[in-house]
This record gives sequence, structure tokens and C-alpha cells, in this order.
Amino acid sequence: MNALIIGQLAVSGALMGLVYALIAYGFQLTYATSKSINFGQGELVMVSAFFSLTLLDHGVPYALMVPGGLAFGALLGLLVERTGVRLALEEKSEGWVLLTIILGLFFFSAAENIWGRDDRPFPTPLSENPVHVFGIDVTRMEISVAVGVFAIMGLIELFKRRTLLGKAFEAVSADRDAAELMGISATRTVMLSYGLSGAVAALAGILVSPITTVGPTMASAMILKAFSVAVVAGLDSGFGVVLIGMFLGALEGLASFYIGSGWREAPGLVLLILALAVRPTGVFGKAGIRKV
Amino acid sequence: MLSATLPLHKSDPLSEDPMKHHVLLGTLLTAALGLQAQGTVKIAITGPFTGGSAPMGASMRDGAKLAIAEINAAGGIQVGGKKMKIEAIERDDEAKNERGALIAQELASMGDLSGVIGTVNTGVCMSGDRYFQEKGLTKIITPAAGSASMTQWSKAGVKDLSIFRFAADDAIQSAMVVEEAMRRGYTKVGLLYDSTNYGVSGRDDLMNQIRMQGGKLQVVASEKFNIGDKDMTAQLLRCKIGGAQAVLIWGIGPELAAVANGMAKIGMKAPLIGGWTLSMSNFIDNAGKNGNGTLMPETFIEDPITPKAKAFIEAYHHTFNVGRIPSPVSAAQGYDAIYIFAAAVKQAKSTDTHKIKAALEDLKEPVKGVIATWHRPFSKWNPADERTHEAFHRQQVVMGMVMDGRVVFANPAEKAQLIKAAGK
Repeated sequence: MNALIIGQLAVSGALMGLVYALIAYGFQLTYATSKSINFGQGELVMVSAFFSLTLLDHGVPYALMVPGGLAFGALLGLLVERTGVRLALEEKSEGWVLLTIILGLFFFSAAENIWGRDDRPFPTPLSENPVHVFGIDVTRMEISVAVGVFAIMGLIELFKRRTLLGKAFEAVSADRDAAELMGISATRTVMLSYGLSGAVAALAGILVSPITTVGPTMASAMILKAFSVAVVAGLDSGFGVVLIGMFLGALEGLASFYIGSGWREAPGLVLLILALAVRPTGVFGKAGIRKV
Repeated sequence: MLSATLPLHKSDPLSEDPMKHHVLLGTLLTAALGLQAQGTVKIAITGPFTGGSAPMGASMRDGAKLAIAEINAAGGIQVGGKKMKIEAIERDDEAKNERGALIAQELASMGDLSGVIGTVNTGVCMSGDRYFQEKGLTKIITPAAGSASMTQWSKAGVKDLSIFRFAADDAIQSAMVVEEAMRRGYTKVGLLYDSTNYGVSGRDDLMNQIRMQGGKLQVVASEKFNIGDKDMTAQLLRCKIGGAQAVLIWGIGPELAAVANGMAKIGMKAPLIGGWTLSMSNFIDNAGKNGNGTLMPETFIEDPITPKAKAFIEAYHHTFNVGRIPSPVSAAQGYDAIYIFAAAVKQAKSTDTHKIKAALEDLKEPVKGVIATWHRPFSKWNPADERTHEAFHRQQVVMGMVMDGRVVFANPAEKAQLIKAAGK
């Protein structure tokens, strides 16, 4: 019985943790190429979810809504790059921090005005009946989260390793100046990374909405956890965010059961402090030497 | 609102009145003094019309507006020798305490308001109502149910109170929740509550009631959750392992739905029993079929069992173009509150808020509402007993149950009793 409880808590938590991992992966994509991240990533998740819901409301079939939502997310990512990041990077300033936060606030207000402040249910083609796996109950929505997260991360990693464009992506990540000398446009690569990051955010929104409902504040709790995951895992390892995301999610579930539901967030924060103190580059991060 | 600053350019709704001269003179006089400029009874309606509590706020407002439209269509309220129409002033507090306080200050300084009706969130009552009390402005709280919004006045030992409540408060509700669990023969229950004022004080009320009703219910788990939480597995597993036959719960729509969905996930069949927030449309919609069988105390159920209820429900659907009232309890309470207020204005023969308060404390004529016929709902404020300013008692509240996206009567006996009472 006890093992089953631990299993149930760990699995439920880990599946939610995969959503944190997916959002954290969005940070990684842009950090790799430009050493910048979008602090308004949570708002991209939320706005894309609202957009996808609007598509469904207008009778767009589910199978077409997903690519539509992803394309919309990618467009938003590009918008963030163009308006919030590119100029700051050209100036070699840290202005993107503030600019991406401001863009996030802008998206938030826009969503409130366009779609209102209410939480709305997000339809799903999946049955609501849970599936029993070795005595553990899992909903089909949770399974779809896992499938979606692994699928998109697998695809992007394959793309980076197998295609010419992907190799350019890796080259800029490794050394921006050297890549530019080889004739790779760093600006375009950064654009690509923001586009991908936006699409990843949109997917996170589409996957998690049937579980959390859609509302302007839907991502505010998740985004903080995604930051923790990104920091603890390090901003270099896609494999790392998945592992840490699942670990953090499971830890939350176990903590709220064994310590008390008021302490749900505590272990994650302790983990964050420990990681920053012991391994500031992240558990899976590369400790690089910074030449001055 | 804006028109208040341009009183004389608006057409006088009372120009057909034989006492035209007096009215006109009065209007001019009061306009000069900046008081009751248009010869209307000004009532402010406040509440969250947007956000998570909006189903309650907007339904309350719309119910109140329905009553105002009916009264105005019949010529208005008989105030002394003339008929005066009601003018509604709406303010959206967004369920935010600080916004509620600002609105209260604004309304309290208007000077020509006859009264205020509304407020959904207990926190907003706590932050704003003192501005009304300072000016002696009459307010009927509806549908905020938290005990604290009235007990704050009894605790402070206020001698003369201008705040009334028209809602089944949490003490009544928690008593009914515990009663229902025992009536169904349960002995073990889990307790879930959100970490807001509302949730925590709801838990205290429930624990109190369990003790007062003989301590026959064993609480196997007492767990909280935060606003915005979606994964309730840990809290629910504790209830499940403890062998809870029902989950008693105090929270707001979206999180309540997360609990119902979480119970379906781990295969928990125990019913949810809790405060009337379980009838909010954002609970019912987001929980879907997982919400079926959920029980909560209700002052009004959207079921046309009496001619009065039928007329009200049809008018609401027709006027606001909906097939279901987002929060029937709030709508009905908003509606009845306006009629009670209007009766007080009539009895006071004045739009002066202090005289209306005195009339409210001793209403002579019964008021026919959609929830009940109200006989002297309030009495002279006694700081030792806040029930003097509470309109609802146990007998006006019934148990509701969620069934396929609607709230229906949980106990047929209560339904039959209401039909019988209306027939008398």
C-alpha cells in the first residue's frame, strides 16, 4: 500500500513536472544561441492556449488546431525576438531582461482584454476515464503531456543534430563569433531559436490546458517552477531539464503528502538554493571558463 | 454616475405627476443643494463583475437589475406622496480588497446615495464596509457569506450598525454540511479548504459544527490547497487512505473543480459536500461529469417549482439571454434584496439612508420575494447578537446537488416543503 502511494504521488507529480520541463526547455533554446531568455515565456504559454481555444471555438478541428497554435506561438516568439531582444543584443546590453518582462505584461493585459479574466475549460478529444498502470491511476491527459513533451523535444534535438540548419544552430550556440566567420547568420539563428521557443511554449499551453483550464493567470505558478527547473538543471542540457522537472514534480507531490499540503513548494525552493550554492551552473550545466 | 452632474438637463421621469410643481421645486432645491438631483432613489450595486468570482457578482447584479426594472416599470417606489424610480450605480470591485476599499470610499462620499447592495468576497467587506459604517450609509451585503463580515461589528461592540446581510452565512452553511454528512450515515470525512480567509474560516466553522453536533464525524484528514493549485493528488490520497466516505470542502470554483477531477483520477467515489461556491458555474463547467453528486446548501435553486420562481427564472433567461443563470443563488438574493430595500424606502417615506436603515430594522409589511416571503427579516442591531442583522435562517436554505451541469434539489422533501409554503 505504502509503495503504491509513493508511486502514485511520484508519477502524478512527475507528469506535471514534465510541463515545467517543457517551459524550461523553451528558456534553453534561446539561451543556447543568444545567451538571453524570454522572461515572458509564461505569457506565451497562456496567450497561445487562448488562441488555440479560440480556434476550437470557431470550429477548427483538433488536428488542425495543434499546428495552428504552434505556428501562432512561433510567431509570438519571433515578435519577442524582434521587439525585445534583437536591439538589446546588438547593443550588447542586458536590456532584454526588462523588455521581455514588459512584453509579457503586455501580452497579459491583451489577453485580459480580449478573452476576459475567467478560467475556461479546454476541450480534449481524450476520454476522462483514468488508466490503471500497475495499480497507479493516470489520466489520459497526463499521458498526452508526457507523449507531447518527449515528441517535441526529440524532434528539436534531432533537427539540431541531423539538419544543416540545426548544425548552424549548434554552431552559433558553441561560438557565435566563429560561426559568423563561417558565414552563418547569427541573427537568423537567434530568430529561429525564438521561433522554436515560442512553438514549445504553445505546445505546453495546449497540453496542460485540459488539466489546468485556460485563464490569464494559468502560467504564473508554472513559470516560477520552470525557472527553478532551468536553474537547477542548468541552461545547457535538454536531458537535464526533463530529469529535474520530473524530480521536482514528484518531490512536490511527496512533500505535500508527507510533510503537509502547506509545504508543497518548500523542497523545490530548498533544492534551488542548494543548487545555486553548490553548483551555480546547474547540475547538468557545463562549468565553462569565461575569458575576460 | 455622470448624469448626476447634469441633473436639470435630463427629462424628468415624474413630469406626469399631478404634484409636478412640488416635485419640480423640490428637484430645484435639492439640485441646488447637490442632493437627490433627479428625484430618483440611488442605489449602488457593487461586486466582482470580472474574474473568478464573476459568476456570483454578475448574477447578483443582474438579479438586482431585474428587480429594479420591475419596480420602475410599475412607476417606482411610493416615497411619501410621490413615486420615485430607482437609479442603479454599478461598480466592479474585481474581488480585490484594495479596489473594494476605494469604491467604498467613493460611494460613501457621494452624499446622495440611499444605499448599497452587493459584495461577494468577505475580504472586500472587511476592507470597505467601515467607510459605509462611518457615514451611516445603509448597506445590504449579498451574497458574501464569510462569518467575519458581520462578526467584525459585534466584536468591535458597535452600538448602531448600518450594515445588513442578506445571505446564508457560513455558520448556517457549515451546520448544514455536517448535518448532511451525518444524515447520509457517514462516520469518516476528509476536510479540504483553500488557504484564503474564506477557506480557513470555513474549516474552523466545520470543525466547530462537527463538535457541536455531537462529534460523530471522524476527520481523517485536514488538508489545504492554494488558489491556482491544479494537482490535488496528495491531499486526496490522504483522504482516501484515511477511509473518508465524503470530502467536506471550502473553496472557490476553479480549485473545487480541480479537486473533483482529481477524485475521478484516483477513483475516489466519495461525494464532495461544501459551501455554496460548489454551485458556481466555473466549478460545474470545469468539473463536468466529475461534479455530479456534489452537495451544497442553496438559498435558491433554478427550478420553476413556484409561479414566482418560474417568472423570475424566465425573466432572467430572457433579459440576459442565457439558458442557465451563472449563480442562481446570487441572482435570487440580489433580486430579493432590492425588494426588501424598496420596502424600507417606502416605509421610511424618504430616500435618506439613515431613515431607510431604521425602517430596515423594523419592516412592517411582509416582502414577497423569489426565495421566500420575508417577514421582518432584520431587527434592531444588538452587538451581542449579529443575527439581528442577518436575514437568513436555516429554514430558508435547502440542500442542492449538481447533476449534469445543473443544480437540482438534493432532498425531495425540501422541494415539496417549498412548494407547500408558496401555496399558502
